[in-house]
Amino acid sequence: MLLEFVGVGALIFGLFFCAVGVLGVIRMPDSLTRLHASGKVATLGLFGLLVGAALLMPSAWLRLLTLGLFVLLTSPVATHAIAASVHRRREIAASVSRQREIAEEPAEKEPTAERADARAMDVTAVLSRSRIQDIIEAQERALRHQRPDAKSKRDP
Amino acid sequence: MTISENGWRGLKAYWDMFESDFAQTAIQLILLALVSLLIPASYRVIVGPTLPDRLQAVDLITTLLIGIIVMLALVEGTENFVDMAIALAAFAFVGTISIARYISEGRVF
Repeated sequence: MLLEFVGVGALIFGLFFCAVGVLGVIRMPDSLTRLHASGKVATLGLFGLLVGAALLMPSAWLRLLTLGLFVLLTSPVATHAIAASVHRRREIAASVSRQREIAEEPAEKEPTAERADARAMDVTAVLSRSRIQDIIEAQERALRHQRPDAKSKRDP
Repeated sequence: MTISENGWRGLKAYWDMFESDFAQTAIQLILLALVSLLIPASYRVIVGPTLPDRLQAVDLITTLLIGIIVMLALVEGTENFVDMAIALAAFAFVGTISIARYISEGRVF
């Protein structure tokens, strides 16, 4: 009887964290903050549910413990992979907009000294205009998650 | 079977009924709540502004499904459903990792 009460309490604990995680996924303003909310569902929420299930169904405790350990190990890895993909996509978008600015600014006839220094700091400035356009196209293609086609390469 | 009929024994019978049904009722209510949590989670899959948001919401739905399968094992009293939950967790991990790599790098391998 006491075991049932404790088990149902653990189930309610897990349900509370599941509800809070889903609420955070809906309401949070940013991708990374939403990831923070949904990480709680996998660790606290699901682990509470598994502890409650192990208390209510003691014959299956080994399988439930296995499932709990597996989820506890793999769900932070999955969350980290999604966060890394968010970060990578932001990096690609920022570099595309920066290189588009560089490609669109007018070429100066007589570069001043500090202007030349500023451009020498930038690796992309040594490339020609068409090469920069190529890079922009390739990264826009990467943003659209398509594989770069090997046949349509212009310069060998 | 009321108190007026059976005295305090009737109350004891009510308490026994509650005691035997309490855990099962609570499990079924929690299962219902978990299933209803799937609807707001799928909102983020449909609306989510970028692709990682949708992937993250699908991952969240899979986690909720693992919990639902475990609660279903409790309701039915079938231990073998937990094995299904383990398999779902393994495949969801591999799928999430590979899709996350695909949408950031443009390829999986």
